[in-house]
Amino acid sequence: MNVFLLYLLLLKATITSFSGLSSLPVVQHDLVEHRRVLTDRQLSAAVAAGRTAPGPNGSYIVSVGYFVAGIPGACAGCLAVMSPAFLIIFMLRYLGARAERRDVKSAIQAVTLAAAGLIVTSTLPLARDSITGPLPAAIAAGTFLFLTLTRRATIWVILAAALAGLLGALV
Amino acid sequence: MIPVSFYRVFLIFLRIGNLTFGGGDPTMAALQSELVSTHRWLSPERYGLVYALARITPGTNLLAFCAGTAYELLGWGGAIVAVAAVTVPSAAVVVLLTAGYQTWKSNPLAMAAIGGTLAAAVGMMATSAWQLLRPQLAGGRRLRAVVVFGVSVLLSLRFGLSPIPVLGLAALVGFFWRVPATK
Repeated sequence: MNVFLLYLLLLKATITSFSGLSSLPVVQHDLVEHRRVLTDRQLSAAVAAGRTAPGPNGSYIVSVGYFVAGIPGACAGCLAVMSPAFLIIFMLRYLGARAERRDVKSAIQAVTLAAAGLIVTSTLPLARDSITGPLPAAIAAGTFLFLTLTRRATIWVILAAALAGLLGALV
Repeated sequence: MIPVSFYRVFLIFLRIGNLTFGGGDPTMAALQSELVSTHRWLSPERYGLVYALARITPGTNLLAFCAGTAYELLGWGGAIVAVAAVTVPSAAVVVLLTAGYQTWKSNPLAMAAIGGTLAAAVGMMATSAWQLLRPQLAGGRRLRAVVVFGVSVLLSLRFGLSPIPVLGLAALVGFFWRVPATK
């Protein structure tokens, strides 16, 4: 896939989202379902890689770029993560206090809710691919509970999940 | 007071952006402490404005916050330096992890471990959806939250509507259907 087109597709995903993983439904729609240059399994691996690394949650986009087009794809992903951030400069200069308007805030809250719904929809095919027995199901449920109930770093969940998978294969 | 410079801004954003775990809010709090309290490079009022605008900037809120605060200090050059300092190191780690996945996927034991992390990724995505939904389930906002969330799932799952129109419709609904603020 052409790297510039990949950048535009990933930018479309990042610029229409308002938090780390809310770009995921657009990525899945464009790259997994429509263009078929990425698999559900690779998308799950990208999410795990993105959450293992320090820094912004949206960095799974870099992994997606790498899966699709190697290092140039990763650079396209990195640029797609960075680009929308600079919109704040135009907002600082031209919007200022208007950002506090209730209707603008309300619209963004609703977009965030819709993103939550779309993430649930996107998770289903990934779950069908990854949850193949009681152990992966327990890992997924344990991850959800751990991350919801504690504020510990995701890296510990990833390490515990990898260890559980390994022990499951050895036993 | 230590004068602001590209080098110092780069070091602060590199350190805090890549070593603070727990997501955007703890990182922004650490940057507030450094930029507003310790160095006094940014007034609390400007910090508040950047924080509010970062919340409504598309993409990763934390990166918008970094771009905004560094722009306030050093203009466009500062914004580029800060965003690169926070993004590039983690991107390099992500590439290494992804390359490792591709290298090890033919090894059964490595794949068993990777299988565990893929199952965990499903749990992470469910957590992400819950964390977006949960703050809006409070008091007078619950009905709209349930309706927008439920209709989005339905439009996507049952009617196969692609994400952009779903998000556009949600923005329209939110614009006209306002609910009491929480803060």
